[in-house]
Amino acid sequence: MKHVDEFRDPALGQALAGEILGLVEPGRHYKFMEVCGGHTHSIYKFGIDDLLPANVELVHGPGCPVCVIPMGRVDDAIALAHEDNVIFTCFGDMLRVPGSDGSLLDAKAEGADIRMVYSPLDALRIAKANPDRDVIFMAIGFETTAPSTALTLKRAKMEGVGNFFCMCNHVTIVPPLRALLDSPDLRLDGFIGPGHVSTVVGVRPFEFIPAEYGKPIAVAGFEPLDVLHAIHMILTQLKEGRCEVENQYARVVPYEGNPRALQVLSEVFELRPHFEWRGMGFISQSGLKLSKAYADLDAEIRYAVPGVRVADPKACQCGEVLKGVIKPWECKVFGSGCTPERPIGTCMVSSEGACAAYYNYGRFAREREVV
Amino acid sequence: MSRMIANAASAFAPSAPVCDHTTSCITCGDVAVPMNVMRLDDERGLALCADDDGNSETVETDLVAPVAPGDRLLVHAGTAIAMLSEEGPV
Repeated sequence: MKHVDEFRDPALGQALAGEILGLVEPGRHYKFMEVCGGHTHSIYKFGIDDLLPANVELVHGPGCPVCVIPMGRVDDAIALAHEDNVIFTCFGDMLRVPGSDGSLLDAKAEGADIRMVYSPLDALRIAKANPDRDVIFMAIGFETTAPSTALTLKRAKMEGVGNFFCMCNHVTIVPPLRALLDSPDLRLDGFIGPGHVSTVVGVRPFEFIPAEYGKPIAVAGFEPLDVLHAIHMILTQLKEGRCEVENQYARVVPYEGNPRALQVLSEVFELRPHFEWRGMGFISQSGLKLSKAYADLDAEIRYAVPGVRVADPKACQCGEVLKGVIKPWECKVFGSGCTPERPIGTCMVSSEGACAAYYNYGRFAREREVV
Repeated sequence: MSRMIANAASAFAPSAPVCDHTTSCITCGDVAVPMNVMRLDDERGLALCADDDGNSETVETDLVAPVAPGDRLLVHAGTAIAMLSEEGPV
């Protein structure tokens, strides 16, 4: 038996689901948000919500970095990719995100030199192999991914690679959570906290959620029993009248996170005054840009980008989905005008987007029985 | 609007291997992969690591240094973000 099987054991899952059933108060509706797109993916892939009582509702949060990129930033990326003598590099999912006039994949088809990479280090390799061209890496992701970009920028400086630049779209997790908690149209009872973000930032940054908003949170791993265990922890807190941050994922997440990673982040990046999130508008101090010490590697300084704000398509309700106000299937274009093959909104592009995850795994089992 | 949909519709699945909607995207999904250190390049702070399926990758080890062959690391986007203490899932 592989060790991973222990975290996917159906009998243990059923037992945990039975205990969860015993923790809920009949007549009370519980609404928990899984912050991370990885959890959304696990919940649909393993059918976790089918194991929960009908009055426990999981809503999907803004934790997919591709999904929160606004159209204007995609347009900026395409403009950079069309610059003369530029090789533009990005992660795979970004290629398909629609801007106001096509995607990066469309730009590639039109002749722009756009290459998919698996890591910033891959982009740096391309820069070294093409010293006569500028190589731009489009950095996206939360605090899990930002250290990887930061280390690569440090390496580029250290090795004197003068043709490597970064278009930084890194975002931080706490400001959007605060924005959600301040939102009047969303009433949540607790949070399933992001696992791998917490590997970097630790558990401490989430202490404001119980302290200031009175909501419990459990930082969770990504196996089905991890998610069920986190829900069990949150419900136990509510039943016992406790409200705190718990670390379900202690086998990987240290309370203090990774201090070295935090040090590197503070050295290479600084907070933008504000950054636009798809469907959520501008959120203060929620995005990162290159610090002054690394400004010479900033693609947005080397090249002018349009920087035009583009409204989301009217038919698309990604904003409401990202805030957990509506379920994916409640969007007007879900599964008809907007599919993973032909996405209109970002939530349908990334595999961790709530709409794509639901489209792939959950749409056949919408009507579920009460457990 | 119709132009926007038409443009979105032209996004097709590329032939290159990408993380698409049927698989899990390492970056978007906050996914990290456990890998074992095979060989070190101490001078450059890099390590050749292999996952449980035998796929190998060059990994930045600065955030978890020092590492030694045989160590098990949690790797995200080419960077080790945590040292794992035992064999198992993440």
